[in-house]
Amino acid sequence: MMLQDGSLQLLCLTASSGVPLFTRGASKQLPFSVIGSLNGVHMFGGGQGVVLTCCETAGGGKVVWRVFQDSVMLIAVSGGRGGGGGGQGGAGSSSKEEEVRLQRLLENVWSCMVLVLGQDELANVRNVERLKRDLRSCFGLIDQLLEDRQEGILGNLTHCADSLLPPNPALLQEAVENFAQSADSEFGCLIVHGKIAAATEKWWRLAPQEVVLLSALMRSLSASGSASCDYPVFLPQGSPTVAHRLLRFQLLPGADVCVLCGPTPSLHRAESGLVCRFWSPLVETLRDCLAVGDRCLPGSVSLRPDVLALLLINRETRRSVSLVRTSTNHPLGDPPLPSKARCWELLKLFYIFSTTRYFSQEETLGLEERAQRGNTEDFVLGFSHQPLQCYLVTDECKSFGLQTPQHQLFLLIPLSVPTLALRTVATQTLSDITAATAF
Amino acid sequence: MAVADARYGSDTALSGGQTEEDGAEHDNIRDCESTSSSFSCSDYSDDLEPEWLDDIQKNGELFYLELSEGEEEAALAQAAANQGVSTNHVRFSEKEAEIITEQNKKQRCGSRTKGEPTLKRLARILRRKRWSSQRRGGKDGGKDSSTLSPPASILKNQPGQRQGVTVQQQQLKEVCVYLNPKRLGGSSTPLSNSGGLLEALLGVVHRPSRITRQGDPAGLTQEERLTVHGLIPNSPAIKCGQILIGDVLVAVDDVDVTSENIERVLSCIPGPTQVMLTFQTAAPVDAGTAGETLSVRKTKASPPVSQLVRLLWGEDTAELQMSIGHIPHIVMYLSLKLDSASPQEEEEILYQYPMCEASSQLKGVRGIFLTLCDMLENVTGGQIISSSLLLGKHLVHVGYWKESNNLLVIGLPAERVPLLYLQTVVGDVVRTLKVMYGSLDSAFCKADHAPRLDHFFCLFFQQLIQPSRLRDGFSAPPPDVSGTLFLDGLPAVRWLTLPPEIKVEVDTVLSDFESSDFGEMSEDFFGLRRLYVILGSCLFYKSYLIANHLPKEDLLDVCLYCQHYCLLPLASEQRVGQLVIWREVFPQQRANSSSSTAPGFSQPQGRHFLLIVGLRHFMQCVLLEAGGCASPASGSPGPDCVYVDQVKATLLQLEVLEAGIEERLNAPAAPCLSCADWFLPSSAARDRLDSLASSSPVLSKLAEAVKGSSSGARGRSLFGEKARRSSPQRSLSDSGSEGQMDAGSGSGSSVAPGLSPHSTPDSARKLGGRRDSLGSGGSDGSGGSGGLFKMTSRMKHPNPFYLGTLKKTLTEKETEEMYNTLKLTSGAENTLFHYVLMETVQGIFIAPTHREVAQLSGSIHPQLIRNFHHCCLSIRAAFQQSLPARGRRTADRPQGGGWGLGPVKEHGVLFQCKPENWTDQRKPAPTMTYWVIGRMLLEPVPQEFYVCFHDSVAEVPVEMAFRLSFGLAL
Repeated sequence: MMLQDGSLQLLCLTASSGVPLFTRGASKQLPFSVIGSLNGVHMFGGGQGVVLTCCETAGGGKVVWRVFQDSVMLIAVSGGRGGGGGGQGGAGSSSKEEEVRLQRLLENVWSCMVLVLGQDELANVRNVERLKRDLRSCFGLIDQLLEDRQEGILGNLTHCADSLLPPNPALLQEAVENFAQSADSEFGCLIVHGKIAAATEKWWRLAPQEVVLLSALMRSLSASGSASCDYPVFLPQGSPTVAHRLLRFQLLPGADVCVLCGPTPSLHRAESGLVCRFWSPLVETLRDCLAVGDRCLPGSVSLRPDVLALLLINRETRRSVSLVRTSTNHPLGDPPLPSKARCWELLKLFYIFSTTRYFSQEETLGLEERAQRGNTEDFVLGFSHQPLQCYLVTDECKSFGLQTPQHQLFLLIPLSVPTLALRTVATQTLSDITAATAF
Repeated sequence: MAVADARYGSDTALSGGQTEEDGAEHDNIRDCESTSSSFSCSDYSDDLEPEWLDDIQKNGELFYLELSEGEEEAALAQAAANQGVSTNHVRFSEKEAEIITEQNKKQRCGSRTKGEPTLKRLARILRRKRWSSQRRGGKDGGKDSSTLSPPASILKNQPGQRQGVTVQQQQLKEVCVYLNPKRLGGSSTPLSNSGGLLEALLGVVHRPSRITRQGDPAGLTQEERLTVHGLIPNSPAIKCGQILIGDVLVAVDDVDVTSENIERVLSCIPGPTQVMLTFQTAAPVDAGTAGETLSVRKTKASPPVSQLVRLLWGEDTAELQMSIGHIPHIVMYLSLKLDSASPQEEEEILYQYPMCEASSQLKGVRGIFLTLCDMLENVTGGQIISSSLLLGKHLVHVGYWKESNNLLVIGLPAERVPLLYLQTVVGDVVRTLKVMYGSLDSAFCKADHAPRLDHFFCLFFQQLIQPSRLRDGFSAPPPDVSGTLFLDGLPAVRWLTLPPEIKVEVDTVLSDFESSDFGEMSEDFFGLRRLYVILGSCLFYKSYLIANHLPKEDLLDVCLYCQHYCLLPLASEQRVGQLVIWREVFPQQRANSSSSTAPGFSQPQGRHFLLIVGLRHFMQCVLLEAGGCASPASGSPGPDCVYVDQVKATLLQLEVLEAGIEERLNAPAAPCLSCADWFLPSSAARDRLDSLASSSPVLSKLAEAVKGSSSGARGRSLFGEKARRSSPQRSLSDSGSEGQMDAGSGSGSSVAPGLSPHSTPDSARKLGGRRDSLGSGGSDGSGGSGGLFKMTSRMKHPNPFYLGTLKKTLTEKETEEMYNTLKLTSGAENTLFHYVLMETVQGIFIAPTHREVAQLSGSIHPQLIRNFHHCCLSIRAAFQQSLPARGRRTADRPQGGGWGLGPVKEHGVLFQCKPENWTDQRKPAPTMTYWVIGRMLLEPVPQEFYVCFHDSVAEVPVEMAFRLSFGLAL
């Protein structure tokens, strides 16, 4: 077995010639012969009018292929878990979920390459060696996507912007609007703890995928520790060929503001002139906002005690709020609650489980995009009636998902809560949050 | 001129010749007489010989199917008239149709005795002929070498074939028809004086224009043009539905034809094949009808004999297969061994089916399958299971099964088989093949198995891809693909619970048979060693298992075989005159258990044979063992008459119980079911129910009785109709029911705030009921809910349609009792729509019978059931994926990371439905919400339970399963 259990490797090759551009992930790189074969089978199929999209092995191993712009081939290989034990008769573990995750990953990696390098350079490869060199600048972001270890960040999966609902949104909103305006830009955004706390209206009009990607970029930039930076970005949907400038300023540790702008203003002018003017009066507000922390919801929202974790998506604005609570008073004798990391994992899995089977994701996918995606054979479409809610009871906890025209809510609830009450917990949680925050 | 006229009138076209010979008499006997010259007595001179004797093949296998008389007559009209799909285009009178039938029959079999009036006899001969020609390879191999090639390979010659019709230009249209020169039957129609092959083969009547005086002008102006002047009934030309009178045939397979060369061109067609005809047409073809052969077929009058029976008889596989030729699907058995010493083309393909265009594309990329299979095992450490491919617009899932050095690859269209369920489908096929042949290698690697495998996979694909065509003989609702997938995929057989006295009797009769005490027919009587030991048998009645004396795994093996050959629906939908199947089988449990059984015990190494005998609606499957205690079998023994007769005798003995079983089937559903439509406030249905309720004296009496027994305060709203109207969740749909839900589970103490005052009593009662069920600790509680079994003494809503039978059989008191115990849901009303309960240990499941479902009728209900089944696919897949995890967890619990979602115990989905085509603009469409819940129980016995009920009452699936399994006591 060449891949470790559960490890993931990403291969990038040129689609036409099969030259490897880079591989990321898994500590041990796959042998070149395997990379060549993986690319070869896809190319061979392409020549015969057959597009190979994915492949599954016993024990949950997965391979997903995808060609972007007829120029770049991305292959994700994920190792099985527990290896071989499943045998032929046994179904792989949550294979469908894994597949969707990998599909998402490939899309995100491609967008991220476009974001950094622009579509032109990727679509028309003239100098492979140069492209290889240039692609190195994406590695930070790509590795972040591959590891996907940041707790509380689900946007890569949901394509909904991870948001943080500040206690006093109006003040921050106004500040962001004014700040962006003064920087000759319509696109401005305040990011707290890696999540969007406030953004201009135009920012929300960007494609959801771009918003998510920009947030990811901001996170990796602010992780570098610099106080400010000026970074050229291409917008994968909005302007894949013309670069904009992303100006980022650290306001407080954990709080960053950014604008997307044209040639002006210079980083220096913006930093020295604008940041202080607009944000110094709001330091206290920002501190309050930082204090919200992982909870993402202002203190005014009181959650029922029997909610372990939650993911709430606003389907119209494509924003999401998610949180995992650390249990404080857990009665002895009850089955142990899953750990925090496991809760995030379960939340993601349950999200994929529900959306692949029951809740359709109305995404702004182009027709071509959808055809390319082809993988998910829309099990959802097979239903003659509309699924509204679903729940799962497993050994660890109970999960409940519900969908309304405006929201999708996914909850993890301890086993001690009777199944009959799940629905009440969910509806009440939804109404509590929406009533208190107008999310 | 008389001949020409006869040809013109399509009804009498074929009887024209007859008229000249015999005069104007259209009589069966006369027809027979005219050709009775060469009658061979062997067919039925000896009535003691069983009818199926001639059908036994060289390897001892037998598949003999005879419909009962009623069905048989219908079959004759179909089967004999060439391919038998009658069309709307031709108006047959009963009599004339019969004449054609008789004549064709005569043409084919050519032997008939005088004064043998029964159609049945004829059919038998006919079928025997047909059968022997189909089974050439096995029985009388090489008799007719030219037709030996399996039908599928014919298509190989036609890589460019197209389905249906395409409009080329305005004036030209292309029509693909399926021609079979073999059907001409050599001597049949006198070709010389009639329209020749054009008429005989294609069914196009063309009169040379010189003779035609009043023909259409097109024919007159150009002599050599082949204008269609008429069409012969039941010919390929008329069946395709695209050829119109007045069209001009200009080309056959792109070869220009005229009246001069047409006969030569047509005579070049060697065997059954599809040809493309190009017509010049007066009017452009309606684009809507182009290219839709399938839909065209559907509009035709449904033939009384289903395609299924004809497929089982071995007819027509090529034609059926062709109709799905455009849908990519394939099965291949590939060798992973590279033998480069003798490179031959396509050497690695050990078996392949079918040979059509779409599948050739999949065949072309077999390199992918081989490479992936070889490589991925090294990369991820697991065998490849599946891969997904896009062929143009079609998404195809490919399932793999590796056995030693060979690889079975099955490609299926995604819209038929979701990836979630692909593995189950592939696994079942593999198991069926193993049961039939012992191993995949022995199934695929013997050359003489090829025709049988073709038949096997033809059935397989037909059932998956176009089940509607197989069943189109019946006025069946649109087939429920998910339902078939789900129910067939369950490792269990559909069980019918019988009243104890009948059950005991059935078991006794079966046990008597299994004791092999055949009296003077038995081997013991003659002092011989037994030929076979009867390992056990199971009995089906109309596709329901009613008794099983087989171990579970054997039962599943037998059932897989029956399912694959559609024997179960066959017995339920048509009366089977006689069915005898005999073949060697390799029960999986017995084959694999050599190492795993208890010490000191070893399975006897014997050979096993499966004997299936069907008589009318009964079907008994017997598993026999040779070797071991019985004398070892040598060679390939055929069915033994004694055993077959004994099974028949058993079935005849059981027939006296048929009335009792029928009564059970006709009895009201237990547990009671509700129809989804009743819950939607559509005025029409409501009125009907109301009137029924008010007009039925029994119902009102019942109400009286209930009022008497239960507290009078509740009597007012006892009936579903009334309760329904007053309960808020019916009319308000979602929000209303949520509010109610809140109240119910919040604390269960106070009256719900969201409820309107007038409905309070009703919902308060519901709350009461729910509190009961909450008492058991939610659905998590395992067992311990025995007290709840009879939890409600309330009357539920009786189904008004069954009161007639009730009145006859039960007193009112009993009726009431019965309802109380058989109602599955809690709360005042019966909210149960559908359920499936699978008992894993015994390998059986129960679900409402087809009849129970049919009686509910309604327009939404069938939809709901389809939806239920589709959802069950997903639920079961969730259960399945957690199963291996459960096994593994004990060994090494994954640290931290965990295992996907983990083992799923219970999974539910809430659906909302609206009536279709809601026209009222002023009001929003009413909605109805219902749960589909699946629950896996490990205690006390492993069960899987799937249930579908209305949203108004929260249910605890564990309890429902518990209540239901009480009725399942075996």
